[in-house]
Amino acid sequence: MVTVEHKPAPAPALPAVRRRRRGLKVTRGYRVFQAVNAVVLTIVVIVTLYPFVNVVARSFSQEAYIRAGQVNLVPRGFNLSTYKLVMADDMFWANYRNTVFYTVVATAVAIVLTTCYAYVLSKKHLRGRSALVGIAVFTMFFSGGLIPNYILITSLGLKNSVWAIALPNAISVFNLLVMKAFFESMPVELEEAAAVDGLDTYRILWRIVLPLSKAMIATMVLFYAVAFWNSWFSAFLYMDQSDLFPVTVYLRNLIAGATGAGSVGAADADLQTAANIQAVTIVLTVVPILLVYPFVQRYFVSGVMLGAVKG
Amino acid sequence: MAIRSRRRVAAFAAALLAVSLSACTGEEPVSDDLSGNRVGAMTDYGVNAQFKATEALNFSILYNNHPNYPIKNEWLFWSELTKRTGVTLQPTAVPLSDYEQKRSLLIGAGDAPLIIPKTYPGSEAPFVASGSILPVSDYLDLMPNFKDKIAKWNLQPDVDQLRQLDGKFYLLPGIHENVWTDYSLGVRTDILAQLNLTAPKTWDEVYTMLKAMKAAYPNQYPMSDRWSKPTPGGALFNYMAGAFSTNGGWGYRNDYWDANAKKFVFTGATDGYKQMVTYLNKLVKEGLLDPESFTQDDDTAIQKLATGKSFVISANAQELVNKYRTTMAATLPNAKIVKIPQPTGPAGEVKAGSRLENGVMISKKARDSKNFVAMMQFIDWLYYSDAGQEFAKWGVPGTTYNKDASGKFTLAPDVDYVKLNPTGTKHLQKDFGFGNGVFAYGGTTQLLQSTFSAEELEYQKAMDAKKILPVPPPHPYEDAEAEQATLWETPLKDHVSQMTLKFILGQRDLSEWDAYVAELKAKNMDAYIELVNKAHDRFAKQRG
Repeated sequence: MVTVEHKPAPAPALPAVRRRRRGLKVTRGYRVFQAVNAVVLTIVVIVTLYPFVNVVARSFSQEAYIRAGQVNLVPRGFNLSTYKLVMADDMFWANYRNTVFYTVVATAVAIVLTTCYAYVLSKKHLRGRSALVGIAVFTMFFSGGLIPNYILITSLGLKNSVWAIALPNAISVFNLLVMKAFFESMPVELEEAAAVDGLDTYRILWRIVLPLSKAMIATMVLFYAVAFWNSWFSAFLYMDQSDLFPVTVYLRNLIAGATGAGSVGAADADLQTAANIQAVTIVLTVVPILLVYPFVQRYFVSGVMLGAVKG
Repeated sequence: MAIRSRRRVAAFAAALLAVSLSACTGEEPVSDDLSGNRVGAMTDYGVNAQFKATEALNFSILYNNHPNYPIKNEWLFWSELTKRTGVTLQPTAVPLSDYEQKRSLLIGAGDAPLIIPKTYPGSEAPFVASGSILPVSDYLDLMPNFKDKIAKWNLQPDVDQLRQLDGKFYLLPGIHENVWTDYSLGVRTDILAQLNLTAPKTWDEVYTMLKAMKAAYPNQYPMSDRWSKPTPGGALFNYMAGAFSTNGGWGYRNDYWDANAKKFVFTGATDGYKQMVTYLNKLVKEGLLDPESFTQDDDTAIQKLATGKSFVISANAQELVNKYRTTMAATLPNAKIVKIPQPTGPAGEVKAGSRLENGVMISKKARDSKNFVAMMQFIDWLYYSDAGQEFAKWGVPGTTYNKDASGKFTLAPDVDYVKLNPTGTKHLQKDFGFGNGVFAYGGTTQLLQSTFSAEELEYQKAMDAKKILPVPPPHPYEDAEAEQATLWETPLKDHVSQMTLKFILGQRDLSEWDAYVAELKAKNMDAYIELVNKAHDRFAKQRG
């Protein structure tokens, strides 16, 4: 009945919408809004992009011009020798490989665990559900502290292995809650139908829920991968050999180490690392993760928004 | 991120507190019988003897990994060290950027390596209460070279400053034969020549020089300074304070030893301090010193120098060569800058400074090792014997360096270090592991200066002609006193540093100096100084 009644309606509705849109366009207020919007967003873009472009420009510039503060958007004293120098460093590449390895392993572990936990929590009939949520949320506010954590990881024998990085950070509670909200927003009927057709819980998750959650999973992969790529602290804590460090620790040592107040007055020669070496290392470290964004972006917005309403 | 790291710091502080509290409950004193700890040790080890363990030994060591010469297993340093001493070091590599944090963590967790180098005097104090650090002063008999140099170079007063509440010290400091001053004023000599000036020798002449520069370039500040973060005027106040019989900047301490009156006085209220502040205020008032000197970051100050907006800046040997000159070579090709010997002031031809360097802490658990004696002998040889220091700094004769009959060091033809041999294809630090800040520091003046350029040697010669000011005597507190002193010290220090800047920048008139001293009194200045003097008298009496 309902569908029949609606059938003739679309024909006149379309021009009406178009007319209204055209009407909106000519409004003065809307034009002002557009102009202001454009200006504000352009400023935001410039403010966001400038530091990055500046670092890229520095990476191609000569040291002296950077020190003199003369490098802004365009490289001065163009040279590629610093790139060659940094890329010739074995330790840089060893640490780079570590970063890729740690990120892949840790993200994989994190996705599996977070998905399982979130899916379970999304089921209203689960007994003790609020306690399980409570356990997760508790860790957002309280932690054992640095030294107890260190002792725990050490006595579990995880030190100097990828597990020291992957396991303690495997579940981000924020991501867990976003995912839980997403699963909750899925129509119950879908899973009920699958159950009626004879699927057990695991196969419902695997065959029905996950294929429908690609946008969500992609977003989570991005969240986790970026976080693990950028993280340095756990590796710094739990790794004892420099060939086990991720490239972020390498980078941090290069930048913070060479400028830290702790080194003031030290007898070391050549203490300061050249500013363009820092810039080159930053560029090389950031680029890969930056390149991931465009590929995941189409899932990104819908993925974050999917759970939003109910969350 | 900020919140997370703050949370970490808080958690970390709490954990440290817990550790130190639990450790305070009293431990059994370790027995001083070393008969069970002599495995591998030499029986006839002494001054200038080559240490060689009687069997192969391994010691763990915390390693401060410098980004400019990252640790490599194939360094000649490691293999040659094992060859000479029979000891293999097992480093835990920690990035230099966060060395202090990891050191605290490892000590707090009881997981620290046996040897903990790169510890600056004073930074061992937080670990003392935890009981996890060895009171090395109890075991100096195992370290003949250390004792020999302390006696020979008259370093006992310096070392006494390291003593903690219990009268022991917990750090084996790096030691210098002479006070080594590095920081001073960097001055554009081409501007001096242009204005027919000579390099200033006193702070009054510095004023005249800046005045002349200002007359020729009225629209700019002739001096704009750096090293103001986190301590405003950190370097400048520190190296000029000696000339005014006070201390300041990085070296600021509330208590100043008045050698004539033989007692401590409050630094920020002394006449010398007032003179220094008045002098700097004059420079700012007359537009000679950039008021931003005390707030800007280093890069900004260097940019002003490199673009010709300023002519005078604080310098040290490295920064002069690596930054100022290289930068100006591109921007102001005709500019010449040199580091002048520290100008003198009312105090006359003196130089102040510490002869102690960063040094080594030992984990308490090392005392229980059967190789303990051998380890102490090893540390003594590597860090304090002439042969060990020369090895750590220069390497292996014939391979990395040569030494002629007069004791002059030259690098091997294919090896470079601090740009002494720019054509060398290999680097002493990067490729061989020598000249490494973890192992090579301090020592004789001859060794220290062996890597200096001719220009820097001249500077050092000028500085060596000056009289060394004696170090202040120690005044270790008792428990209750330490707590009280800490409560008073920080507000006093903060007030001094705030008001110092206000006076210098003219935000507060110098006629209010007495009011400022009254404010210090309201913050318990007198009681604090009384406490310091009481502690000092007691210590002096105990030591006879």
